[in-house]
Amino acid sequence: MPRSTLHIFFSTGCWMVLAFLVLPILVVIPVSFTDTAFIGLPRDGLSLQHYETFLRSPKWLQACLTSMWIGVLVAGISTILGTLFCIGVWFLSDRAATIARWVMIVPILVPPVVQSLGFYKFWVVLGLIDTHVGVILAHTLLALPYVTISVFAALTNLDRRIPQAARNLGASLPMTILTVIMPSIRPGMIAGALFAFTVSFDEIVGVLFLTVRRVETLPKVIWDGIQESIDPVIAAVATILVAITLFVTVFGLRGRKI
Amino acid sequence: MPNPIISVRNAVKTYGKVRALDNVALDIREGEFLTLLGPSGSGKTTLLSAIAGFLSVTSGSIHARGAEITHLPPEKRDFAMVFQGYALFPTMTVAENVGYPLRVRKMPNAERAERVRECLELVQMSGFADRMPHQLSGGQQQRIALARALSFKPDVLLLDEPLSALDKKLRADLQWELKALHDRLGVTFIYVTHDQDEAMSMSDRVIILSDGSVQQEGAPAELYNRPRNKFVASFLGKSNFVPAQIRKQANGTYTAQVAQESFELSAEPEVNIDGKACLAIRPERVRLGLPGLECFAGRIRQISYLGERCLVLVDHEEFGEILISQTTWNASLPPEPNMEISFGWDCKACVPIAEN
Repeated sequence: MPRSTLHIFFSTGCWMVLAFLVLPILVVIPVSFTDTAFIGLPRDGLSLQHYETFLRSPKWLQACLTSMWIGVLVAGISTILGTLFCIGVWFLSDRAATIARWVMIVPILVPPVVQSLGFYKFWVVLGLIDTHVGVILAHTLLALPYVTISVFAALTNLDRRIPQAARNLGASLPMTILTVIMPSIRPGMIAGALFAFTVSFDEIVGVLFLTVRRVETLPKVIWDGIQESIDPVIAAVATILVAITLFVTVFGLRGRKI
Repeated sequence: MPNPIISVRNAVKTYGKVRALDNVALDIREGEFLTLLGPSGSGKTTLLSAIAGFLSVTSGSIHARGAEITHLPPEKRDFAMVFQGYALFPTMTVAENVGYPLRVRKMPNAERAERVRECLELVQMSGFADRMPHQLSGGQQQRIALARALSFKPDVLLLDEPLSALDKKLRADLQWELKALHDRLGVTFIYVTHDQDEAMSMSDRVIILSDGSVQQEGAPAELYNRPRNKFVASFLGKSNFVPAQIRKQANGTYTAQVAQESFELSAEPEVNIDGKACLAIRPERVRLGLPGLECFAGRIRQISYLGERCLVLVDHEEFGEILISQTTWNASLPPEPNMEISFGWDCKACVPIAEN
């Protein structure tokens, strides 16, 4: 039957694409349980030694913590700025506002190396090299386009008469934004904040350009680990991150259905 | 007019070269049910938005109880509005929606809850306080929007085509309710619609707008019986237009000469007419008779049966199409297509209007 052949052909294709996407991620899991001192599959048995190294090493834990709090700050700052920007643009909704919205997205189009070089040149002048503030600022700028895309998508679904109704009923403009607009676009803001956190958490190019010794984020320590020796701890870290991501995703999807 | 609650003076609003409002002036009496009626693009919603404060007029001014409010932000005007599509806050329950104006006015919780209960009762939605807006039907949402607008006891209620999204039967029921609510509360209603039936059935006064300017204003019966121009005559109900010569007689009365027939006019024409004019004649005032009985002869082209009455389209050599509306229950002769008939009307049916 031709239809069934076609069906098999396409479903095989789908599974192959899926495997291509997922297998490289899954391969770190057995590697992280290796009993050898180098990156490779387990030889004589499974071992948790690399997880132990990770949990006992102040360098790794510190880097993890640094990436976390930088990520949270970046998510917070870029979500606030991005949301304010979107609401302003939405209210104006004229030609200039549309142009501003497109300009905001440009950072996504610029190659990260070029952008990082720009940050480097500018941060030297500002004295922000090798400071947490410098990294947070750079990451906020990198995350802003993602926040604006996500928040603006939520805003386009909002009836323009809703803020009008709020003001007609006696709410000032700030009150309208806080009590009516923000609750309506909250899903967009949360998605934007998650995007921003992710952008910051695994950003490496900018960090390599902007930091020397004082700021150690997780991607940078992983990078250093690969440079110095091929340490299976990296696989352990990667496995933990995959597990956390999986957990958050499943939790998030379940929350949405309820 | 004694002490208008709102007055609009020489309001102009332009978008590029388009004049959405063209020198509009009107006074709104306290407690009246005023309808702004016009086709889409006539400027009626623009005028309402300007009164509500959502857009600023290019020139002219708006006053409330004598004080100028042209540049006052909407939240300072205390005019409640019921929006087309209702604009209920999607993240709030029905009770929170209705209580919103009270919350922004910092009314204490207990008092607010009491007032919300009262308002929901007013629109017969008491059992729905904890629902979300998306769980309600269109008619129910409309009632909640009304309750929300009335909760802070505004002087003026602005309604922007509030019934347009509802089906015909529900719309008719809500028309009666709105009118009853208006009479009970004594709040000034400013109602925007493109539906002439809505305008006629509820309003104390109707203002007909077209192309951004006021065409005519008055009580529904006055507008229907004495339209001033072709636009009003054809927008509010249907009209036949026949060319006529208006003449002043020696005894001071006026006559309209249509073909060979002469009709005496009951009053001096309101509009400035120099000789050539036009008569607007309502279809239900044209009589259909046997050949030779009435003044004009024609041939029936088409008939449309509507139950309580039927519409007959007659071709006349000089006037073109003449529409006649005839009650069916006592029709003297059953009209049929291609029938040669005569028709006519009496003097009272003639409304002289400007040829525009």
